[in-house]
Amino acid sequence: MKTLLESSKPFTAWLMVGIGWVALSCPALAALGGDVTSVEADRAHMKAESLEVKQATAYKVHAIQAPGGTIINEYVSPAGRVFAVAWHGPFIPEMPQILGSYFQQYSAAIQAKRPYGRRPLNIQQPGLVVQTGGHMRAYFGRAYLPEMLPAGLKADEIK
Amino acid sequence: MRKQFLVLILLGSLGLVVGCGGGSSSSSSDPSVAANVLPIAVDGGPPANQANGAIYPNGAFASATICAPGSSSNCVTVDHLLVDTGSYGLRVLESAIPSLNLPAVNASNGSAAYDCVSFVDMSFLWGPVEAASVTLGGETASNVPIQVVSNSTANIPTSCSGNTLSEDQNTQSTLGANGILGVGLEPADCGFLCDPSAGGTPPSPAYYTCAKLPCLPAFVDVANQVTNPVVAFSSADNNGVIVELPAVSGGSAATVKGSLIFGIGTETNNQLSNSATVFTLLCDSFTTIFDNTPLGITDPKHCSGPASFIDSGSNGLFFPDVNNSIPMCPNSTPFGDLSEFYCPTSLQNLSATNEDPNTTSTTKKTNFSVNNALNLFTAAPTDAAFGTLTGLNPPGFGFDWGLPFFYGVHVYSAIDGQTVSTPMGLPSPPWWAY
Repeated sequence: MKTLLESSKPFTAWLMVGIGWVALSCPALAALGGDVTSVEADRAHMKAESLEVKQATAYKVHAIQAPGGTIINEYVSPAGRVFAVAWHGPFIPEMPQILGSYFQQYSAAIQAKRPYGRRPLNIQQPGLVVQTGGHMRAYFGRAYLPEMLPAGLKADEIK
Repeated sequence: MRKQFLVLILLGSLGLVVGCGGGSSSSSSDPSVAANVLPIAVDGGPPANQANGAIYPNGAFASATICAPGSSSNCVTVDHLLVDTGSYGLRVLESAIPSLNLPAVNASNGSAAYDCVSFVDMSFLWGPVEAASVTLGGETASNVPIQVVSNSTANIPTSCSGNTLSEDQNTQSTLGANGILGVGLEPADCGFLCDPSAGGTPPSPAYYTCAKLPCLPAFVDVANQVTNPVVAFSSADNNGVIVELPAVSGGSAATVKGSLIFGIGTETNNQLSNSATVFTLLCDSFTTIFDNTPLGITDPKHCSGPASFIDSGSNGLFFPDVNNSIPMCPNSTPFGDLSEFYCPTSLQNLSATNEDPNTTSTTKKTNFSVNNALNLFTAAPTDAAFGTLTGLNPPGFGFDWGLPFFYGVHVYSAIDGQTVSTPMGLPSPPWWAY
């Protein structure tokens, strides 16, 4: 992953403009916990298409679709922070991109010793929840920051 | 010994005369077992892992003989392949077939194809697509693309590994098996989306070519994709599979032995039972009504919604605890982190109703039991089969009917694009029946 310094010119332009149009390099900033500009960063990195932005009372959902059809919904608070990401489709999205700075915490959690066997993943830690399920060609999952969920949005509605 | 052998041959021949068309003779390896039968065992996994105290609970395993295409001498028999009706294609550890040199299979751009497969627990498998002759029981798929899971972790693209190699399950000890035998509903692991006719950017993580580094996503013609070996059998037993495992009485069993039967309605031993209900599917899933909550696809166009499915590769029953009443197990136990399993204070007998999403009048009530996973493992630390091992599929997700569903039930899985013609009037695959 490129650091802020290494991304040079495209990154500086992005900083100045606010809403990013990221060229070929992928800045370190990514969805969860990031601000709304990281949604565009995700879209560009994944070569995804922007689908729509749905407005609910206490948040917005930006939907993007990756090549191959996986849909990624990024939930953004009124203050412009991405507090949840959900996905469903034939391919699992890149977790470092989706989780951003939370990827380290997630990585450590999946390394905890568990019995052998394939089953849905349920990581519930202070400050981070990651849940996945499905099977080949039909995956789904969500990652969210529990303390940032707006009133009235239940976790099982994040999809 | 010889007399028994002769008697078995005679019985085998009698079977041929009395039975229906299909004409398969007995297995080349064991004359007493029909050719379309592959023995499977829920036995805790490879002996080396068990010797280290690591049991694989509720994994059904089988062996395959893998040869270079066209060869009957350049072969290796690999044991402890996970029988997985939720995935498609044979994947085998390179470390299990060190002596085999298999030819590369190419992507549509002409370079050798590499496959990356993710699983829901965020593990992945990476390695080249190669052609092999695969024999399962007495059936052979004579030139079929398989995935060889590389020993090497070099050059794995980040869209596959997620920037960490810690979950690359390329050893017997990390995977818990020597490979995965994907015999599910689809004939190839990716299908149209990875075929060049899809156009646009190749999806990832899926197929790659590595002629220049870094490896880049690539399209692969469907015929060259990692293929469900069943559809490539030379016999007529290529339209589906039946998993037959006996019931597990009591809490658990040390080992449970059963069969993977190839073909539906093509031999005397694979006819659809009168008591089985056929479920057609939507997005390779059906609807499970649990706690008055329907868990199924809500948007067929995008295949979104809390889809429910049957999957022998899941090692428990995983479902959303809609009423939030079942406690989870602790994350620190002698068996590791069990926080994905349920730990009720006592055995709970529950039921759900499975429903055909296309014909909602077709339903079947299905009972199941939920027991305390920590207590189950503590009471029987060397047992492999647990009929009441259950866990969480988070609320908002569907019902995952894993291996406990199969104990004591014949489960039929008919493959997309194939034909099941006996008995007459069956719907076109894909479908499940039980």
